Amino acid sequence: MRLELASYPVGTLDLENAVARLEFRDPRIASVDVAVVEPGESVRLTHVLDAVEPHVKPDDPASTFPGALGTLHPAGSGRTNRIAGAAVIACADFPAEERPLHEQESLIDMAGPGAAYSRLSATTNVVLTFQPADGVGNEDFEAAVRETKLRAARDLASLTIGKEPEAVEELDYTLGGTGREGVPAVALLLQLSSLGPLYEIYLYGTTLDGFQPAPVNPLELLDGALTGGEYHWAGLRNSTYSFQNSALVRELLAGNGERFRFAGLVACRGYNQSAKDKERAAMLAAKVAGELGADGVIVTTDAGGNSHTDTMLTVRACERAGIRTVAMVAEMGGLTDHVPEADAIVSVGNAEELVPEWRPERVLGGDVLLDGRRAAEAGPVPVRNYLGAVCQMGDMDLRAVAA
Amino acid sequence: MKVVHYLNQFFAGKGAEELAGLPPFRIEGAVGPGKGLEQLGLPIALTIACGDDYFGEHEDLALAELLRWLDEERPDALVCGPSFGSGRYGYACGILAREATNRGIPAVCGMDPESPGVIATEGAAYIVPTSTNVAGMRDALPSIASLAARLAAGEELAGPEEEGYLPRGLRRNERAGAVGAARAIDLLLAKLGGDTRTEVAARFDHVPPPPPLRAAGEATLALVTEAGCVPQGNPDGLPTIRAAAWLRYPIAGEHLLREGEYESVHGGFDVTAANRDPNRFVPLDAARLLEEEGRIGRLHDVFYTTTGNGTPVAVSTKFGQEIAEELRDAGVEAVILSGT
Amino acid sequence: MFVTALPTIATMIGANRVIRGVAITNPFGDPERSPAGELALRRAIVEQALELLETEVEPGTVWEGAQ
Repeated sequence: MRLELASYPVGTLDLENAVARLEFRDPRIASVDVAVVEPGESVRLTHVLDAVEPHVKPDDPASTFPGALGTLHPAGSGRTNRIAGAAVIACADFPAEERPLHEQESLIDMAGPGAAYSRLSATTNVVLTFQPADGVGNEDFEAAVRETKLRAARDLASLTIGKEPEAVEELDYTLGGTGREGVPAVALLLQLSSLGPLYEIYLYGTTLDGFQPAPVNPLELLDGALTGGEYHWAGLRNSTYSFQNSALVRELLAGNGERFRFAGLVACRGYNQSAKDKERAAMLAAKVAGELGADGVIVTTDAGGNSHTDTMLTVRACERAGIRTVAMVAEMGGLTDHVPEADAIVSVGNAEELVPEWRPERVLGGDVLLDGRRAAEAGPVPVRNYLGAVCQMGDMDLRAVAA
Repeated sequence: MKVVHYLNQFFAGKGAEELAGLPPFRIEGAVGPGKGLEQLGLPIALTIACGDDYFGEHEDLALAELLRWLDEERPDALVCGPSFGSGRYGYACGILAREATNRGIPAVCGMDPESPGVIATEGAAYIVPTSTNVAGMRDALPSIASLAARLAAGEELAGPEEEGYLPRGLRRNERAGAVGAARAIDLLLAKLGGDTRTEVAARFDHVPPPPPLRAAGEATLALVTEAGCVPQGNPDGLPTIRAAAWLRYPIAGEHLLREGEYESVHGGFDVTAANRDPNRFVPLDAARLLEEEGRIGRLHDVFYTTTGNGTPVAVSTKFGQEIAEELRDAGVEAVILSGT
Repeated sequence: MFVTALPTIATMIGANRVIRGVAITNPFGDPERSPAGELALRRAIVEQALELLETEVEPGTVWEGAQ
């Protein structure tokens, strides 16, 4: 596959004008408040569901975010225009009577101490705050938000069509990778949540319920094949933006051929439901990695709780198959799960640590946090409430150490 | 800087077991080990103390009184002990240190890592590891004084390894200087190169290093391996992976392990090279020469073997304890263990 | 004391006296050498082991083994 990623820095575009022209017509949504915020502003965003980098396929805009928004077409090839340094932020609170499985407060602070805990504190953010139409249930409302945020991201990026990009990256990747003689083969086992409504990552618009480990081209991931819809702990959440800008996929593509051979990316479901399902998925992930010729794998994690068991069982299955592993997990005060075979773990940080209090001048997304505190004077906030703070695909430079 | 020091009745100079029932009492200034802390530059404003039995039997009463004194004094730091291996004293130190920390008074204890006081702190205090008995006083006080002085000055301490306190079971965030993605790739390539590292070690059981041998020439040494070394043909069926047992074989009078007589059945590495010369993992030939020269007092009559391949830590730990027990009973003072 | 080619694992699980062995497959030997050369190497590593056993150490002490 070959992807041309054309970058248009947000500062070179008339974003305000494009934002003003955004239209929202979905009967499931009563209203959308729109605001643009810049890094450094004294603003806290609350109830953040997802973040999306504006992308468009200039040669066929209707195929942008295939499956989730656009027509079905394999992502990862042809040209994609991106607005670099910008994101669409979807904020919504779900009606209380159907509160999702866990408390899911999700913040982005544009300044203050919390700004070091999200990549989205450093982007120009088009913040969309959604209100559901009367009588629309959580699942329908969520589906509407999910589609609308992607449409907004695509429509904003359409601003670039016909303009000269600042840079064009040509990315080329074929399953199996390339590498000079003697370099090790490494694969990425990428965990993607599927735990039911409001806890789903989408692959071409469908959940991974029942999905068994299978290769996905890393360029598909960078090009919008994976979209977010998982609203567990914000810090441990993989947003659409974190797939589009995955530091890990970028590093693996950059190192392919020199330091190692990037043998492939294997998508794996997180939150397999029964013990047997977990064992089977782990076994199959190791098998696919073995078929790709991987000497070693990086096993990532998505969200928290029993998805960490999927990670650890996958580590065990790979190690038993003779494939060396590195697992990437967030700590919730400590490890959620562990197997002795997991002898090389990247800690992406302790999600329970408190970030000092900060009092923003403005709050967008909702003034009252889910725990009832006022967002502008909430006191110290745990790391887990900041979107992507302890991203278990390794986007951030945080790590937990003994104390 | 204001520091309060907690001691039991013995170290506070009242008396030994016969006075362990003393209720809390206070002495202005430093007493006993507190004098040592003062010599190290840590002024002690007040010593508070309690009989060990009294604290154990009337914890609520004792604690209430001690905490009342702390609330009155509002010290910048509390030092407890050192209590070494003492169970009751260590427990009292741990509980008081925890409660003080929870009131915003940083606390430093000194105790044996196995002391029940360690658990009693619930991770809420800094514990300098000490020996089990008072002979370790001189080693313990400088670390305690230094940590307490820095905490009293409001300094943040670095991690337990750098600072020399016991890990409190807490995890503090820091900026790693590289994103997790880059660190994961580095760890994986290092591991594929034979160098396995981790940012999160599971909590394994750490024991302090045993004291050195006075002279190996006077000691009985045993050879132990987890390389799966067994007599040719593996007569006792040692598993190649996930061993459920260990074995022992006689080597009295043998001068080397001969090719064809011994082999490795370890399923986790290529045994070809080692099987051409089993001394490559059980160095009997070299050890025997050194025994003949008097550099080793005596080689134990049997060597111990198991397969360290996918064996759960709990099982390996049990093997180690069982083997160590037999060796100790046989008068063996040191072991050369080979790992693959 | 523990002779192993993987000293980081050894110290992680709590070994206190560790010597880095020649290789995973042959901690006490080197198939590339002549039999006499290899025995000399092995003897040197065992002598290091004895010396380490006679030495006061910090937890997790690792000595580089004879090569």
